[in-house]
Amino acid sequence: MTCAELPRTQAYFDQEIDALSAADLEGHIGTCAECQVLLQDLGTARSALRALEPHAAPPELRARILLALDEEDSPAATSSGRPVRQARAWRTRPFWLGAFGGMGGTVVAALLAFFLIAPVLNHGMLDDLVAAHVRSLMPDHLVDVISTDRHTVKPWFAGHADVSPVVVDFTAQGYRLVGGRADYLDHQRSAVVVYEHGAHTINVFSWADHHPALPATTTRSGYRMMCWRVKDLQYCAVSDTGWDELQGLVTLLQDASARDDRG
Amino acid sequence: MNDKRSRFEAEVLPHLDAAYRFARWLAPSPSEADDLVQDAVLRAFRGFEGLRGADAKAWLLTIIRNCHFTAQRQQQRRAFVPLPEDYDEADGDAMVASTPGPEAVSISRDQRRALERVLAELPEEQREVLILREIEDMDYRDIAAITNVPIGTVMSRLSRARAALKARWLTTVEGPVK
Repeated sequence: MTCAELPRTQAYFDQEIDALSAADLEGHIGTCAECQVLLQDLGTARSALRALEPHAAPPELRARILLALDEEDSPAATSSGRPVRQARAWRTRPFWLGAFGGMGGTVVAALLAFFLIAPVLNHGMLDDLVAAHVRSLMPDHLVDVISTDRHTVKPWFAGHADVSPVVVDFTAQGYRLVGGRADYLDHQRSAVVVYEHGAHTINVFSWADHHPALPATTTRSGYRMMCWRVKDLQYCAVSDTGWDELQGLVTLLQDASARDDRG
Repeated sequence: MNDKRSRFEAEVLPHLDAAYRFARWLAPSPSEADDLVQDAVLRAFRGFEGLRGADAKAWLLTIIRNCHFTAQRQQQRRAFVPLPEDYDEADGDAMVASTPGPEAVSISRDQRRALERVLAELPEEQREVLILREIEDMDYRDIAAITNVPIGTVMSRLSRARAALKARWLTTVEGPVK
């Protein structure tokens, strides 16, 4: 015999019935062996299913999607592919109008490039940084030179990167220097100093920058980023730590740069 | 800077893991799951204005599911692959008696893998409600919206899925022992 309350017992297990019906049903379940077995089975199945390997989106996929989104919103993708129909109308006008039109068009394009594309470059830069951070977290990509000694890491950059950032081990303050890496960013070999804070990895990117300044703090795909500049050297720290932890390292680095400057 | 993009990143991208998990259970291979997720996220981005305060997770999962069916239809047109969807609910015994496979003996050592296999063998309409309910923790109303069926159907599919899971689980794990 099958208990008529089984469907309601399932809904009760899924917390889909109101408190009043629940109280009523609990009375029934207390006396119904069949419903008790069902509840037990449902609980077993749920905990087994929730113990399955949780699939997280792979970092490469995340990076690939961010790139595809960049292409999706770039102005070039939306503005091309229209003016075909107007071509004939132009031809009936005097040549010089067309010529001026062309010049006007050039000016407009230049202005567009300045106001639209410049910020987009910036924005692409942030995505590149996150992609580089994510790539570094894949096995064997984190560091090129493993060392907790700043006197090893700093000279290593001289041969492998185009810039020479500040390198200090802050183990005492909770940020352990793990090593350095060279990443290709913004058409140059940028220097990356890698720190560990608890279970988190913090990549501190640095490169010579001529673009408009990056936002001081921003978030991309769940990663926190803090950017700052020391003269013409642009720094950006990327991690999945909290803001306070990231700020802690940034402050230490900024102080160290200031000291370097004076010394 | 770009309002739509940053709102999209804040509202929809946090559900990327859920989208990926769901896609992994729908798509036949991990690389097809990747393509499915990318396709769905781009569509979601293009149609982002249509979200307007609705639940972003349920919305993204709906798009994943739609993209999956579109891809599946295209594949079907290319080659005739028999799909396990012609499943008759009254035919419970036939389902339980599905071939245990050559690795049946070693399964008890790796219960997790066995469970994944059992789950993968469930008819798709049962698997998806089970995943949405148990792993993604969606309520009946959201599951109904995602799978585009009435709540009553969600409940009966869920109940059949759970019974089938139990039956198959018992035959795979305990069957060979007895």
